[in-house]
Amino acid sequence: MAVKGLDIFKLSPKTNCKECGCPTCMAFCMKVAQGALQIEQCPHMSDEAKALLSDATAPAMKTIKIGAGDAELTLGGETVLYRHEKTFVSKNVFAVPVCTSMEDADVDAKLESIKKIDYERIGEREYIESVFVHGEGDKLVELAKKAAALGRAVIIETADVDAAKAAVEAIKETKPVLVGATKDNYAAMNEIATAAGIALGVCGDSIEDIYDTIKALEDAGNKNLIINVTGADIKETLKNAVLCRRGAIKDGDKSLGYPSLVKLPKFAKGDLHLQTAFASLFTLKYGSIIVMENMTMAEALPLYGLRQNIYTDPQKPMKVEPGIYPLNGAGPDDPILLTVDFALTYFLVTGEIERSKVPVNVLITDASGMSVLTAWAAGKFSSSTVKKTFDDFDVANKINNRTLIIPGKVAVMKGEIADKLPDWNVVVGTREAVEIVKYFKDGEHIKAAEAAAAQKADAPKAEAKVVDENAPLDFDKIAASIPEIKVVDMGVQYKTRNVESKKFVTIGERIHCISPTIKAAMDNMDPEPILKRAAEQIAAGATYLDVNIGPAESNGPELMTWAVKLLQENFNNVPLALDTANKKAIEAGIKVYNRENGKPIVNSADAGSRIDNINLAAANDAICIALCSADGIAKDNEERMAHCHKMLDLGMSLGMDSDDLWFDPLFLVVKGMQDKQMDVLNAIKMFADEGLKSTGGLSNNSNGAPKEVRPIMDSALVAMAMMQGLTSAIVNPCDKRLMETIKSCDIFKNNELYSDSYLDM
Amino acid sequence: MSFEPKLQAFNSSVNAVTLGTGDKAITIGGQNVMPFYTFDNAVENTQKIGLEILDDENAVENAKKAESMQGVDFVCLHLESADPNGADTSVEDCVALAKAVSEATSLPLVIMGCKAVEKDAEIFNKISEALEGKNILVLSAREENYKQVGAGAGLAYGQKVGAESAVDINLAKQLNTMLSQLGVDDKSIVMNAGSAAAGYGYEYVASTLDRIRAAALQQGDAQLAMPIITPVSTESWAVKESLMPEEEMPEWGSLDERIIEMEITTAAAALTGGSDAVIMRHPEAIKTIAAMIAALN
Ligand code: SF4
Repeated sequence: MAVKGLDIFKLSPKTNCKECGCPTCMAFCMKVAQGALQIEQCPHMSDEAKALLSDATAPAMKTIKIGAGDAELTLGGETVLYRHEKTFVSKNVFAVPVCTSMEDADVDAKLESIKKIDYERIGEREYIESVFVHGEGDKLVELAKKAAALGRAVIIETADVDAAKAAVEAIKETKPVLVGATKDNYAAMNEIATAAGIALGVCGDSIEDIYDTIKALEDAGNKNLIINVTGADIKETLKNAVLCRRGAIKDGDKSLGYPSLVKLPKFAKGDLHLQTAFASLFTLKYGSIIVMENMTMAEALPLYGLRQNIYTDPQKPMKVEPGIYPLNGAGPDDPILLTVDFALTYFLVTGEIERSKVPVNVLITDASGMSVLTAWAAGKFSSSTVKKTFDDFDVANKINNRTLIIPGKVAVMKGEIADKLPDWNVVVGTREAVEIVKYFKDGEHIKAAEAAAAQKADAPKAEAKVVDENAPLDFDKIAASIPEIKVVDMGVQYKTRNVESKKFVTIGERIHCISPTIKAAMDNMDPEPILKRAAEQIAAGATYLDVNIGPAESNGPELMTWAVKLLQENFNNVPLALDTANKKAIEAGIKVYNRENGKPIVNSADAGSRIDNINLAAANDAICIALCSADGIAKDNEERMAHCHKMLDLGMSLGMDSDDLWFDPLFLVVKGMQDKQMDVLNAIKMFADEGLKSTGGLSNNSNGAPKEVRPIMDSALVAMAMMQGLTSAIVNPCDKRLMETIKSCDIFKNNELYSDSYLDM
Repeated sequence: MSFEPKLQAFNSSVNAVTLGTGDKAITIGGQNVMPFYTFDNAVENTQKIGLEILDDENAVENAKKAESMQGVDFVCLHLESADPNGADTSVEDCVALAKAVSEATSLPLVIMGCKAVEKDAEIFNKISEALEGKNILVLSAREENYKQVGAGAGLAYGQKVGAESAVDINLAKQLNTMLSQLGVDDKSIVMNAGSAAAGYGYEYVASTLDRIRAAALQQGDAQLAMPIITPVSTESWAVKESLMPEEEMPEWGSLDERIIEMEITTAAAALTGGSDAVIMRHPEAIKTIAAMIAALN
C-alpha cells in the first residue's frame, strides 16, 4: 500500500536544513514516497516516520526461502492476483512424499523414483524440487536424513513435537521446512523452527483456526511462515488458497501473505489422473508447494510446461538458448535453418520440421526473445548478429553442409548475410511455419541452394570483403563516394528555429526504410522520394526529421552522409534524428551535420545491449534518445526508472548535459497492453519531476486500430502525456489532428503566446 | 483479530446460454464469480465437457457411444476433412454427416469447422438449416466470415454462434460487438477465445481468459459477458508429448498416458481460467475432468 508524501512530511523534522540534498523537508518526503530517495538519507527523521514507511512498503506477501545451497528454493513474494497485472515471481514447486509408515524398501524406491524426473526445458531444469517427509516417532529422523541426502529441499511434517525436534536437528544444515504448528503446539514448534532458522508451516482445522495461530506466531516474532491450506476436501483447499492470496494482495492483510502448501495425495486417492487435474488448478491458483503422490514423466511434461508458461513475465517473452539444435537425427551433412530465440517461434518451427521428418539443424540466434520481424526491426536480428552466432557456435566447423535457410520474413537480409558468410548458400525459407512441411517435401531448399551455388560459381570470385569494424572512418573517402547533392525547390522551407524554445519537439517519422518507396530510394540514393517526404513533414510543422536507414550494414556511413547532406542542404539545415543500429553510419552522419537548428539526435540507446550509443552521442555532442528498457518492455515504473537512472549516470559521467538525454518510456499498444498505458504516462511525470526531458513513439499506442480512430487516440494521448510533462514525440506530422492538439497544448502550457490564428503558425 | 473472509461475488454475471433441446439440453455460464469460486457465491451451471468426434467412418457410431460415456455432456463433430487444402469433403456430405450424427444422439451438438473461412461459413449455414430447431452451436464465426455465419446460422436459423478470436481480447470484444450489431442476440453467442496446449504458449491463453472474466465481472462489460468454450483436444493432441511414439522416446514412457495427461492438464487449466465448456477427445481424460468439475462444485 502506497504511503503518501504528506503523511511522511507530517512526521518529518520540518527544519529544511537541506542536509539530505533537498531544498525542503517537503520535497524530500515527496521523493521518499515516490521511492526516488531513501528515508535514511535524512539524519534527523523520527523513528515513527521510519516505521510508517517500512510498514507501508513491506510487501503484501513475504518471500520465504527453503532448502540450502543448490537445493534452495524461493517461495511467495507475489504482488498480483493475475499474471497479466504484472507477473508472477516465484514458481510453485512440486514435492513427493515419503512416510514413516512405509517399508524401508518402498521409501528407497520412492526416493529413487524422484531422481528419474530431471530434464531441461527452455533453459530451465525440471525436476522434483522437494521431498515431503511425514509421520511420527524415531523413524522420522532416519527418513529426514535419507531425504536430505537426495539434495532436494526437505519438508518435514509432523504433529509430534519430539520427533520434529530430532528430525530438524538432524538435517538443520539443509534448511528444511517444519510443517505442523497448530493452535495447540505452536509455541513448542516455533521454538524448534526459530532455533534452526527455518520456515514453519502452520496447520489447523479451518482457515480461521490457522489465522489465529499465524497471529500468535507473529506476536511471538516469527514471520518465516508457510500456510498449509489443505482442507477437508479439494473445494475447501481452493477456498483457503484463494482467501489467503486475495486477503494478502487485495485486502492488504499481511498475516495471510505467506506461501501456501497444498497436499494432493489425500484428494486424489490414488487416481493419478485426477491428481494432475488438481495440480494444474493449483499451478494457476496460488499453490506454492504442491505435494503429489508421485510424479511420472507423463505428468511432469505438461505440468512443468504449464508452470513455465504461467511464470514467464508477460513483458519478457520466453527464450530458448541460442545454439545448434539437430532435428530428426540431423548431422553435420544436413542443412541449417536459421531462426530467432523467441520460444513460441522455436516451438512452431521445430514442431513443423519434426512433422516433415527431414533432418535439419536448426540454428537459434540471440534476438532478445523477439519474433523474427520485431527483432529485425529492432536491429536484434541482422547479418551481424547472424555472423556472430556462426562464430560463437563455430558453425562452419561443426556443419559440413553449406545450405543456410533464413526466415522468409527477412528475405531482405539474404544479400547481407551472403556477404558476411560467403561460403554459405543462403536461401530464403518460408514466411510461416505451417508452410515448412511442404517446402521441404517439394525440396525447395535444395533447388534454391543449387541455384545459389551455381550463381556463385558463375560470378567472378568476389574478393571476400574484409571489413574491420573498428577501423576509423575515412570521411573524405565517404564524401567523395556519394552522389553530388542537388538543391531542388520543393516549395517549402524549414524556418530557422530557436534552439532554446520550450515548445514541444515533434520528430517526423516518415523517412523510414520500412516504407518500400523509401527503401528503394535509399538503395539507389535516389533523392526525389526522400525530399518529397521531407517537404510534406516540414510543411506540416515537424521540428526534427527522423532518418531511419535500417541496419544498412554494407554502406551505412555513405548512406547516412548522403541523407544528412541531402536533407540539410535542401531544407535550411533542418535538424535530424539519425536512426540506425549502425554506429559508423551515425558517426559519419554527424560529421557532416550542421547544428544551426539543433543538435543531431542519436536514435536510440537503451539500458541493455544498445547502451553504448550514449557514448556515441556523448563523443559527438549529440542528443540521445534513451529507451527505458533493456531486454523487452520494463514491467513497471520501478524498472523504467532504474533503466533511466542507469543511462543518466552514464551520460553524466561522460560529461553530457542531462538535457541531451531524452528518455523514452516506450508507449505501448493499446490493443494488447491497455492496462499498462497509465504506467507509461506516470513514468513521464517521474522524468519531468526529476527535470528530465522525454520523448517516444507516440503512434505505437494506436497500432492496429482503424485508420479513422488513430488520430483521435494519438491526439488524446499526446494531450495527456504533455500534461505529464512530455517534451517531445516521434510522430507522423501529416496527422493534422495530432499536430493541432500539440499546438493547442503548447498554448496551455504557455510555451507559445496565443493568437487567434495560432493553428496556422 | 480473527479472520473474516471477504467474499467477492460481482454484480455482473456471465451470460447463460443453452445448447441442445429436451432432457439433454445443457446451459453454460450464468455465474457471477470467478471459476470454481463457489465460496464466493453458489454456481448454478457447472462447466460442461464435449466429446470431439472426427468426421471419419466411425463418426455416427462414436456419437451413439457418447451418450453412455462417463462425463460427456455434448458432442462436437469436427469437420476437419472439409478443408479445401485437404480432403475437401463437399458441403453436401458434411451436411449429411451432421444429420446422421444428430440423429444418432440426443446430446447437444456442436459443429466445428475446418478453419477455411469461406467453406466454414457455407457448412455452418447449410447444417444450421438442416438442423433447425436443434439449437446447435457452430464453431466458429471469425473476423473474416462473421457476417455470413451470423446472418445464416445465427439469424436465419436461430442456432448458437461461436465467436472465435486467436488469443486476442480486443478482437474477442470486437467480434462480439459486431455479431450483436448484426442482430445476433447476446444470449446466442459463445466465445472461443483461443487455445494452446500446456507448455506451448499457454500463458497467452491464461491471461486472455483472466482478462475476459475480469472485464465481464468486474467492469460489467456486456460485450465480453458471453460464456467461453475452449477446444482442448485439437491443441493437446498436436504437440510433441502427444505424438512421439514410445520407441523413439523411451524415457517419456507410454504415449497413451502422455496424451491423457497433456489433455487433462490443459483442460483443467482452461476451466480454472474461465472456460465454461471444454472439448476433449480421450475417454479417460474426459472422465477425470468430469470428476474434477464434480469435486469442485
Ligand atoms: S535532512 Fe531531513 S530535516 Fe533536513 S531538510 Fe532534509 S528532510 Fe528536512
